Amino acid sequence: MNASTMLAERTATVRLTDLKKRYRVGDDWAEALKGVSLTAAAGEMVALTGPSGSGKSTLLNLAGLIDTPDAGTREIAGKPVDGLDDAGLTVLRRERVGFIFQGFNLVPVMNVADNVEYPLLLLGRPAAERRQKVAEILERTGLAAFANRLPDALSGGQRQRVAIARALVKSPSLVIADEPTANLDSHTAQQIVDLLRELSHERGAAVVVATHDERMSAHCDRVLRLADGELISGERQ
Amino acid sequence: MKWILFAWKNVMRNKRRSLTAMLITAMGTAAVLIGGGFALFTYESLEEMTARDSGHVVLAAARGFDNDEDVPLQHGLAGAAALAAHYAAQPGVRAVAPRIQFSGLISNGDKSTVFVGSGVDPAVDFRLRGPQLEFVAGEAPGASDAVPEVAIGNELAGLMKVKVGASLTLLATTTEGNLNAVDVIVRGIVKTGVPDIDRRLVMTDIRAVQRLLLSDKVGSLALYLKDTAQTEAMAAQVKAARPELAVRTWRDLAVFYQAVRALYNRIFGILGLIMVVIVAFAMSNTLGMAVVERTREIGTLRAIGTQPGEVVRNFVLEGAAIGAAGAALGMLLAGGATVALLFAGIDMPPPPGRSVGYPLLLSFSAPLYLGAMLVVVALAATAAWFVSRRAAHKPITEALSHV
Repeated sequence: MNASTMLAERTATVRLTDLKKRYRVGDDWAEALKGVSLTAAAGEMVALTGPSGSGKSTLLNLAGLIDTPDAGTREIAGKPVDGLDDAGLTVLRRERVGFIFQGFNLVPVMNVADNVEYPLLLLGRPAAERRQKVAEILERTGLAAFANRLPDALSGGQRQRVAIARALVKSPSLVIADEPTANLDSHTAQQIVDLLRELSHERGAAVVVATHDERMSAHCDRVLRLADGELISGERQ
Repeated sequence: MKWILFAWKNVMRNKRRSLTAMLITAMGTAAVLIGGGFALFTYESLEEMTARDSGHVVLAAARGFDNDEDVPLQHGLAGAAALAAHYAAQPGVRAVAPRIQFSGLISNGDKSTVFVGSGVDPAVDFRLRGPQLEFVAGEAPGASDAVPEVAIGNELAGLMKVKVGASLTLLATTTEGNLNAVDVIVRGIVKTGVPDIDRRLVMTDIRAVQRLLLSDKVGSLALYLKDTAQTEAMAAQVKAARPELAVRTWRDLAVFYQAVRALYNRIFGILGLIMVVIVAFAMSNTLGMAVVERTREIGTLRAIGTQPGEVVRNFVLEGAAIGAAGAALGMLLAGGATVALLFAGIDMPPPPGRSVGYPLLLSFSAPLYLGAMLVVVALAATAAWFVSRRAAHKPITEALSHV
């Protein structure tokens, strides 16, 4: 363990230890993760790379608390989460975790402002606070002029900006991003990477991002490579 | 408020499908309200008809309603005049009508047949019966001390081959068991709309009947109230004040009304049940498709912290919105039909046993409309809950990978 990894370990926002996960495939079991550990500190951006089927998505799902491991432990902001039931995990995701999906996954009937406001609505924040935070992050992501547009009326890059704004508006501890640049051209992808990096740094969120895109991983603090459900390397950029 | 707005936006996501569900709901609601309105109109008409016929509260001597008299007026009511005067002075009483039901033979000299007679106070009874008793010829008989006047059913008039002004003879058994006869003059020919009654009906002044039966008793006293809703209260008041009397309300005596009400309640109850099933299926189908189409979205909402119960609540709000919009449209349709029928002048064919039809009208009932709205909204919300609860509890990773 080198010095930077030790620092991340000490201030870890997310700590995943020896996670194992297997799935039933017909009559057999397929091991998706074979004891993977990962930590990410506030403001740190960690890339998960590897070929398809290497376990990136499974690790991302476990980190984002939308799936449960067969073995291993998870901590978010210093609190163990594996004893929590579904409702408890949902509350933790609501308060602490933001998601950015490859396909944007915006709610099509909500306009940009409503999509971004939704997490704050779940948190029960007062209307004035919601309005102020939404306006602030839309300004920050360059979407202020599009606040009343529906997602269908936006370009791919703009939609991903909305997804980033939605993930970060509540200032989460952890942001899970699944191939956030996969559907974007290189110029837009670069803008999205920069924006995600900037905002996560500003708001002190750890970002775990699964990507095949080397431009994305090149901007991350650490790149973890997975193959066959195992971590084969982890390097500081 | 935000959640309701989101629900409505989701309803409008697939306009054609939501509109179809709303229209089915509207048609179902309208069918129930029109059916219910027709049943209510029938009940109200029958109530009025029955109350006009029998009076709201009917008083008789202790065994006056037993129908087991050996001779006429064996269980008749004595001192009826004082009793009538007493109740006529009561607030809420519109009129008091003494009556004697009797029967015998009616003859034109050549031909005799059985009649069913009603001795009435002509000044009161013919006014109270209103449109229920249609004079096809002549007018209401008066209270004559000389030769009594009668009104007879039109079919009986045909049978006896008589017109207004003709002379007939009534033959009946007296209270002493002997036969007695009285000559009468036909003053009016009436039609009740029930051929069986029109074939036998004779109505005349009650004093003439008392002379024929050799009694000063009456069969019953009918109290006509200003407000039908006061029937039970007045009946209770009379029972308390006069425990020696037998008291019946129009409802107790309205066998036909009760039978029709029971039949219509069953028919329209089944119609309502069919509509409930149709609306439930339409709603389940619409929302079920929406849930399947939005499985990935449900996964996204769950991932960002929406509880399964909140996902279900959103669908329940959508269902309730579709149900409320459909029910409101159905109410408008039914209300429109109610108004249109007021001007359309459509008549229903005569019911079994009757010779005249009745107007096709619908009654408006605010409780019925409100009840229909609540039932439809509750039904739609329940359907939404039923179809969305499984998707809301689906594993998030599975929902997110749904295509």
